[in-house]
Amino acid sequence: MIDPPVALLAELTYRCPLRCAYCSNPADWRDYGDELDAAAWSRVLREAADLGALHVHFSGGEPLLRDDLESLVRAARDAGLYTNLITSAWRVTRERLAALADAGLDHVQVSVQDSDAPRADRLAGTTAHAHKLGAARQVKALGMALSINAVLHQRNLARVGEIIALAESVGAERLELANTQWHGSALAHRDALMPDRETLARAQSVALAARERLRGTMDVIWVIPDWYEDAPRPCMDGWGRRFVTVVPTGVALPCPGAHDLPGMVFDNVRERSLGDIWREGRDFQKFRGTDWMSPTCASCERREVDFGGCRCQAFALTGDAARTDPACPKSPDHALVRDLRRARPAAVADEGPLYRIDIRRGRRAS
Amino acid sequence: MSSVSDPSDPSDAARPTLARRARLRWDAARARHVVVVPEGVLALTEEAAEVAALLDGRRSLADVIAAVAEAHPEAPREVIDADVRAYLRRLVERGYVTMEAP
Repeated sequence: MIDPPVALLAELTYRCPLRCAYCSNPADWRDYGDELDAAAWSRVLREAADLGALHVHFSGGEPLLRDDLESLVRAARDAGLYTNLITSAWRVTRERLAALADAGLDHVQVSVQDSDAPRADRLAGTTAHAHKLGAARQVKALGMALSINAVLHQRNLARVGEIIALAESVGAERLELANTQWHGSALAHRDALMPDRETLARAQSVALAARERLRGTMDVIWVIPDWYEDAPRPCMDGWGRRFVTVVPTGVALPCPGAHDLPGMVFDNVRERSLGDIWREGRDFQKFRGTDWMSPTCASCERREVDFGGCRCQAFALTGDAARTDPACPKSPDHALVRDLRRARPAAVADEGPLYRIDIRRGRRAS
Repeated sequence: MSSVSDPSDPSDAARPTLARRARLRWDAARARHVVVVPEGVLALTEEAAEVAALLDGRRSLADVIAAVAEAHPEAPREVIDADVRAYLRRLVERGYVTMEAP
């Protein structure tokens, strides 16, 4: 018996006006232009709810670029799902936010790139920061729940206290302090973004003190920097275990990073129901449970805590997605991570331009 | 908006209210009640679901305890009183419930 997923991550589009260097979307995002229409998404939302999902996270790219977002929110609420919009809030108007609230949007997660506009806008590659703060306040005024999300790296970790103050000032109930995950564009930019241990430790003590101080007012979530920890990140809480992702073209994945794992055959919701894919899709089985594990993981007492760590990171660093995540100190490949960490603080903070990688492969028709 | 009273020692007249961001629902796939919040799901026992259904923002803490006691004449009143208070205190700490001033 396969447990149902708790959440659907609906990646509505990979179009995005921001150019964050740590972007986790595929570098060939332009090749995902054949997006599912509203009718197809509405069916997928119902299928997810019937399967047992409780949350839908509308994400991207920038989901606000979909003009039909309101109808998708309504379809999700009609299906009984708790609706979350993950957005940069780029140029969103109060009218649009009010229409989304009317459609039944429960929760909005607004990204910030740093605590002050010049630095944040430099990272985003566009003027966005000041508008985000106004939009965040409007989210609250309209009665929706608000989270702030900040991806952390060497260029902003020193200001984690200011980022926490920013989240408090706009009335967020949740703050995700998400240390960069080293895939794709982030991995390509690791020389600029990789934190050193002292900077991380200072930021972590600020974050953990704030978590205590704000208990009951604002949830402060510290997403671990897995390259500096004693154990790997339990990626997606296990492959095909709690989360299902549907990408803009309709392909269903166990994890939003699984696009580029080799030899995988993922099904498309245009051809098969989400329930069938979840239960029977060939590659949803591939790393489910513990049977696939290397001897290092299979013999580890944390095998059902960490689930072997992250498959995409294992592939990115070793070329084999079935190996133990090299972020794990028990991994035979752990030296790869040690070598790529930043040995000492940079003498001068590097604040020059830095944009996400962007390539066109032209091979993903659907 | 009404002010929020001290969550560690709510008066019996305070009105325990499910947080605006939280939604109580039946989870058919897993045959249980849950409270859903952003990025989180709290699974409820049958007893907890009975309490959660009473947190409508109109009933006072005393009303909630009385309603649970009425539904469970078999249980000693002082046990129900202590259990409901302890349970609500945990839900307040975790942000699922607010205590609105009377």
